[in-house]
Amino acid sequence: MKNYMPILILLLATISCATAEEQQDYSNDEIRTLLPYDAIPAITDPQFVPASAAKLEADAPVIGVNLNDESHAYSLYLLNGHEIVNDVVGGLNIATTW
Amino acid sequence: MYDHQTRSLWSHITGEALQGPLKGKQLTLLSSVPQIAWKTWQQNYPDTQVLSVPTAGGTLEGLSRDTYADYHASQRTGVSGTEYTDNRLPNKSLVIGVQLQAKAGNTQFRAYPITHFTETAVINDTLGDVPLLIFHDKMSFATTVFKRVAEDRSLTFKHETDYFARDNSGTEWNLITGEATSGKYNRTRLERVPAVNIYWFAWARYYPQTTIYGQ
Repeated sequence: MKNYMPILILLLATISCATAEEQQDYSNDEIRTLLPYDAIPAITDPQFVPASAAKLEADAPVIGVNLNDESHAYSLYLLNGHEIVNDVVGGLNIATTW
Repeated sequence: MYDHQTRSLWSHITGEALQGPLKGKQLTLLSSVPQIAWKTWQQNYPDTQVLSVPTAGGTLEGLSRDTYADYHASQRTGVSGTEYTDNRLPNKSLVIGVQLQAKAGNTQFRAYPITHFTETAVINDTLGDVPLLIFHDKMSFATTVFKRVAEDRSLTFKHETDYFARDNSGTEWNLITGEATSGKYNRTRLERVPAVNIYWFAWARYYPQTTIYGQ
């Protein structure tokens, strides 16, 4: 497996906005710049708590990932402010995106 | 998205690099549960770890409100002012987007409008040559997609209660984990298929070749 880049999990993408690009790099193409790099800070060193310690409402929407019998949950409302989590689940390098 | 190593730009819908040194590279799409209520996930995966963000006052695992609630309630399509022209469905229709590699080689794309899940939580479909099971709970928005195949046999599912269904062999299945809970295929696990909950305008823009379930 190529490990120099994370594997992408394409998850819930109900919002088509706010990826960070720099206009000066690519001003002649079709990619439009709306926000500078890292205006929406991705999580690069994610921290976790066990389910029993999580402060979440019962009906709070989450993304659930289960890979090689390891599972992680990510609150969607929390991800509104980050959009990307660089994570390792079940030994796989993944990006959980929202 | 961009990567720190090369600053290439990536689509977070397709996983393809669109600009920069890695242009043309494709990330591998993995299966997940794109949305589910916390209590349902926890019931099925009690050992789950939960993302926790440090703050000045402690840690946050969630927030009480959706900062995009107004956007979801509006007719706006993204923030860039782009016009969308695939009128097979209204732009802001929510669909479950599924893509699968067919045996013949071409990737198949299909959108399942969530309005199909008002009568039943389960759809038995075939995409390309692959029998598929699509589960969507209209109350919690829980979405899961599996290949409806066990031991090389294609099964047909009928929804029972909550997130359980029964196949034509009489086996009962948990549609969150994809595991059989009783019957002939007890403890067998269905193969999960990549799926997203997504607005039609975005799905159709990235995958114009998509078909729509029921059309």
